[in-house]
Amino acid sequence: MTIPFTIQDKLGFPHTPSSSPPPPSSLPLPSSSSSTSDIVHDPFLRIDQLKNSFQNLPPQQQEWLLSEIVDQCDHSQLTFLHGMVTPRLKVDFLKRLPIEIALHIVSFIHDPVTLGRMGGVSKHWNELLKDETIWRNMCDLQQYKPPYNSHHNNSYNKSNLLSNNTMIPSSSLGYSYNAMDDKQPTTTISSPYQQKRSNMDRAGGFSYRDHFIRKYSITSAWKHGGHIKVVEQGLEGLVTSLQCDDKYIVVGCENHRIEVFDTATGNKVRSLVGHEGGVWALEFMGNDDIQNPHEQERVLVSAGCDKNVRVWNLETGELRHTLRGHVSTIRCLKMKNRRIVVTGSRDCTLRIWDVEQGVATHVLYGHQNSVRCLDICGNVLVSGSYDNTARVWDLSTGECRHVLLGHDSNIYSIVTDGIKVAAGSLSTHIQVWSVDTGDCLGVLYGHTSLVGQLELVPASGPTTPATLVSGGADGCLRIWDWNEPFNCLQRISAHDNSITCLQCDDRWILSSGNDGRVKLWDRKQGRLVRTLANPAKTVWKIQLSESKAVLLMFRTIAPMAEEGNTVLEIHDFDKSSLPQPSYPFPF
Amino acid sequence: MSNVRLLSSDNEEFVVQKEVAERSVLIKNMLEDVGETDSAIPLPNVTAKVLKKVIEWCDHHSSDPVTTDETERRTTDIDEWDQKFMEVDQETLFDIILAANYLDIKPLLDVGCKTVANMIKGKTAEEIRKIFNIVNDFTPEEEAQIRKENEWAEDR
Repeated sequence: MTIPFTIQDKLGFPHTPSSSPPPPSSLPLPSSSSSTSDIVHDPFLRIDQLKNSFQNLPPQQQEWLLSEIVDQCDHSQLTFLHGMVTPRLKVDFLKRLPIEIALHIVSFIHDPVTLGRMGGVSKHWNELLKDETIWRNMCDLQQYKPPYNSHHNNSYNKSNLLSNNTMIPSSSLGYSYNAMDDKQPTTTISSPYQQKRSNMDRAGGFSYRDHFIRKYSITSAWKHGGHIKVVEQGLEGLVTSLQCDDKYIVVGCENHRIEVFDTATGNKVRSLVGHEGGVWALEFMGNDDIQNPHEQERVLVSAGCDKNVRVWNLETGELRHTLRGHVSTIRCLKMKNRRIVVTGSRDCTLRIWDVEQGVATHVLYGHQNSVRCLDICGNVLVSGSYDNTARVWDLSTGECRHVLLGHDSNIYSIVTDGIKVAAGSLSTHIQVWSVDTGDCLGVLYGHTSLVGQLELVPASGPTTPATLVSGGADGCLRIWDWNEPFNCLQRISAHDNSITCLQCDDRWILSSGNDGRVKLWDRKQGRLVRTLANPAKTVWKIQLSESKAVLLMFRTIAPMAEEGNTVLEIHDFDKSSLPQPSYPFPF
Repeated sequence: MSNVRLLSSDNEEFVVQKEVAERSVLIKNMLEDVGETDSAIPLPNVTAKVLKKVIEWCDHHSSDPVTTDETERRTTDIDEWDQKFMEVDQETLFDIILAANYLDIKPLLDVGCKTVANMIKGKTAEEIRKIFNIVNDFTPEEEAQIRKENEWAEDR
């Protein structure tokens, strides 16, 4: 680059805008500069002298000189200058700012994709993006609750399904949903105390970052499809009941058998043979205090047409008890824990059993017709009957607390959270009562046919209150506010025909219909996410857990054929549960 | 309304209304500690150039209600005036953020941080490097590994 003027021409410049230009004599030019021949003949020295002179000018004159130089530049020189100057005016904010401000910036970025990419910018960003406060914030925003202690999760008894499927051990953390709320930072800027906390979280083996990534991956696999295992061997005929956790899938069949499969492989573990009639209901439960699915000692209770309750050791297949007492088919069954079990029968009674001792502790008389459904929460037992009434019972004494009137035909479904009880019937409405007083709190109209499916979804935070989800023979799903006045929040035309099964968690609704379809819905938006499997002739039973959907269906060998197979499909949405190479991270 | 005198690190004095200056929790606390005073408050961490910008912001927002609502603070929307105000070179933005932090002006700190966050959002790693002139200091092996590590975000 040529310099089109000598500095001496301009320094001590007579028309300088500066009020007091330095006299030329004060310029600290090297003595050799007095020799013009040096300046002319040694370009390196000349540039060096220019640089020195520039540095020694007062700021105002420096700016003035720069603008004079820029004025002299042609277009290509200006482009050169621009390319040289622009990057220097840029700032690596996340590196140069104090870490708590850098993290504050990141806290305004809620897009997981951007957060993922940010880790690939530089080593510094990669390290910063590992900070736990970022991912705790993200877990909170996406409502990815940290794994909770199952003791805090029993307000709805069906939720043992969820806690059993929690794969990250939580016992060492002592987390519960409530405990997490207490730890919410009051500002998003992390204090040293919170920094310390997040290190403690890591020390405890739990990482919000890993948790977020796992949950995010599971959620997107639910949306787009997971790993599907299809089991076509080992099942025959009509399926009546299903329960699964991370180790076992237990299927009750009309052919008197109970089939047990390995959840991870889909292989049959064993068949439990003993019932002398169709199995209608079953439930199993592991130990509350053991989190590892492989150390559980699960107790399975089953019942059906042969009027007997059978108690099994699910780990060994050993039959522990055959409990007699009911005089007609047992239609429904629920476990309070591994010891207390309630059954409801066509003989109009409910029985409370101590399955450890192998004895009936109470026989509950009162219903005038078949007991079709029951639910338990804490010490509250509720039952629904073909005598059009529901009843509230005290589980420990067997005493009937209330007879709930309002339906004028068979009750098919009942749920309770221990405070309220809701029942659906052939008379198409849903009625809600107070457990405490037995008073009617609301009548929920909307379905145009039998309401056979009810599910309660507990509140998952202040912005998502508890909801009641109902499925009817009209093919509709309805989502109701579980607080008075029980407004209908969503109405979904889900299936062409009667809804046969319904499963919910805090994110999804999984439904199956007589149309042979299984559909996944976004619970909050009431929107179809996708159809889960190829259509079947019949969908017998479905169950969802955090990362899996288990479907039992009957598929014909050809579209118009009559003969076919009972098929078990395991949809696994957790990639981390599949074998994959691990990548140790070097820095 | 009484005035307060503020002295920048390069010894330039600014006279501002007390209510404007008190957008800064630091200054507010100082004023409460010393009571009525005629002497200028020295701000050794803020140059005149940046202090001028900060005062401009405080002046515009002098009557804003104090927001304590977490969800509102969390949104990344920036109002129009602030957006224009933040149309500065990165070095100045950097100085404003540091000054807002030092002077304890949370809403200004938030706006500054949101401005940087918005520059990052939706960009690829290469685009981010370009925006902030960051050198990719990963070895090819590390880069491959990081791609693997972040696959979860790129999957869909």
